[in-house]
Amino acid sequence: MRPRLDALLRTTTFRLALVQAGVVLAFVGIMLVYVYFSTVGQLIRDSDALADQEYTTLERAYAEGGMRRLNQEVVERAARQGPFLYVLAESNGVVVTGDFQQLPATPGEAPQRVDFSFERPGASGETERGQASGRVGRLINGPILLVARDLGDSAVIAGRITRVLWTVAIVGLIVAVVSGLLAATQAARRAEQLSTTAREVMTGDLTRRAPVRGVGDEFDELAQALNAMLDRIEQLMHTTRTAGDAIAHDLRSPLTRFRQKLEAALEKPADSDADREALRKAMDEADRLFDMFAAVLKLSRVEEASNWRLTRVDVTEILRELLEFYEPAAEDEGLSFAGEVQDALFVQGDHGLFTQAVSNLIENALKYTPTGGRVEVRVVRRPDARIEIAVLDSGPGVPVEDRDRVLERFVRLESARSSAGVGLGLSLVAAVARLHRGGLHLRDGLDNATGGKGLTAALVLPAAA
Amino acid sequence: MRVLLVEDDPDMAESLRASLSADSHEVDHADDGGIGEQMALDGGYDVIVLDRMLPTKQGVAIVRDLRGKGVSTPVLILSALHDEDHRIEGLNAGANDYLGKPFSTRELLARVRALWNGRDLGPQTKLTVGGLEMDLLARTVRRDGKKLDLQPREFRLLEYLMRNAGQTVTRKMLLENVWDYHFDPQTNVIDVHISRLRSKIDRDFSQTLLHTVRGSGYRLEG
Repeated sequence: MRPRLDALLRTTTFRLALVQAGVVLAFVGIMLVYVYFSTVGQLIRDSDALADQEYTTLERAYAEGGMRRLNQEVVERAARQGPFLYVLAESNGVVVTGDFQQLPATPGEAPQRVDFSFERPGASGETERGQASGRVGRLINGPILLVARDLGDSAVIAGRITRVLWTVAIVGLIVAVVSGLLAATQAARRAEQLSTTAREVMTGDLTRRAPVRGVGDEFDELAQALNAMLDRIEQLMHTTRTAGDAIAHDLRSPLTRFRQKLEAALEKPADSDADREALRKAMDEADRLFDMFAAVLKLSRVEEASNWRLTRVDVTEILRELLEFYEPAAEDEGLSFAGEVQDALFVQGDHGLFTQAVSNLIENALKYTPTGGRVEVRVVRRPDARIEIAVLDSGPGVPVEDRDRVLERFVRLESARSSAGVGLGLSLVAAVARLHRGGLHLRDGLDNATGGKGLTAALVLPAAA
Repeated sequence: MRVLLVEDDPDMAESLRASLSADSHEVDHADDGGIGEQMALDGGYDVIVLDRMLPTKQGVAIVRDLRGKGVSTPVLILSALHDEDHRIEGLNAGANDYLGKPFSTRELLARVRALWNGRDLGPQTKLTVGGLEMDLLARTVRRDGKKLDLQPREFRLLEYLMRNAGQTVTRKMLLENVWDYHFDPQTNVIDVHISRLRSKIDRDFSQTLLHTVRGSGYRLEG
């Protein structure tokens, strides 16, 4: 528990929660002070004003009729059992008349405010306690006059309000701190889940994923971004692992054949024609090896985005030229070949790579679609401001479960093993798509004679203005 | 032709020298960039074949300096780096052609000859091969006076073949020069374009002009 609490105290969220709690408390405090002064404060101010008024009246009576008149007024008023309390004393502080036997406060030269508690015998005999607030001062020639107002019910109300305010302040403090801690704990726990996932991945378990709660908050977004990154890393790791095996495997075969051809040429008695044929075949195998190396190197370069400066590329023009370029070959193969390219389509990209990627898709379609089939190229700007370059064919297609796999390096379906190519075509296109911040999607294509669905390879890239 | 070969790898240099000599060129060899540049400046070469990675001075820098000093001898750069960027860098420096390693000897020989053919002969308005006549201004082609109807791309294909008449041009050269494509199509698409062109220029005539060179490419010859 101890280290977790320490960690909690260090978290940004906790500090933010504290700041927020502080702000809330300050606000509550200001509110309480305001409430206090506009209730209790007002009660006291009102009562003081009345006491002042009474004091002034008595002061006037003293001015008009001297000590006798004042004494008389005080005795009369005290006898009335009104809301006021009176004390009249000699200049030496000895009480002459009034509600108390002693002055609850000694006055200075000027009249001043006075608050005091008192006890006095009540009407029914028991001791009456109370709070009073008023004014005490020396009159001309020395007598001391105190006029106060029994706060009575007001004091009770003020006391209650004060207690309520204190309660609210304390509860507010507790709520602010506890909720801050809870929020911080919650945030810290979710951040901890992300860190845990990252640590588990680091120790080698690439299949771990951060939990997504589905509430769409920033932690969910972070978790989703982390998971997407892990998906990509896992895919790359997988590709690298399988590519290593595949390279070894795929390079072995042509190397073996290469060696066999040379060996065969050596073992046979010298025969110019047979030797030449064997050497020619050996060279074909060597070319295949070079093609593979070139393709692997190219793919690696494409996957390193910093190698490329992307510029505005005229998709419409490139596609129309490619259609013109491949049309005769398609016709020669007995394929119906149609293209439909919208005007004025542009992407931010690399001219050479983009051209090669689309060319790969078209060549794949031409290569795998049997005579009598159909290949269509449709290039449109979609409503989501992406350009889709779709190559549809009526060939054998790719089973749904293999569609992700054929985009990996060196993966060629068994059915395609016999034909030329090194199994890097689609992975190159996929890499080019990623470089252009887009994707390569495989789906059903055109219906074919054997009831199949063909294949659509769609390159989807963000459009440039 | 006198060919200057600048290549530092001894095996590669020897094999290239043998091939070029066998193709009846006179070959001088330098295995160092600085020496190669000096030999090129001393002059007298028809074509320079330059490796990109060389000791003391890189191929691209040599071409740039040669062009800066007014040497206009056609240059072919050989390079293991043959991405678009590298190729463009080489061509921008002033090289006339760029060939990625590995290459076939035939490809190299065809390109060396094409460089010689492609040297600046001043503005031409007419190309003639046998009975075939191309008017570059009117964009028309006639054979034995009969007008042939060619698509724009077929016109460019034929123009390139005519400019290199008598020489073998490889499929790769056609791809790069006629279509500006720098990848290898896995299909026989070039052959199909050639056969279409052939059906237009040769079908109705007794003499064949457009020949297939087995294992290399094509040759237009009158």
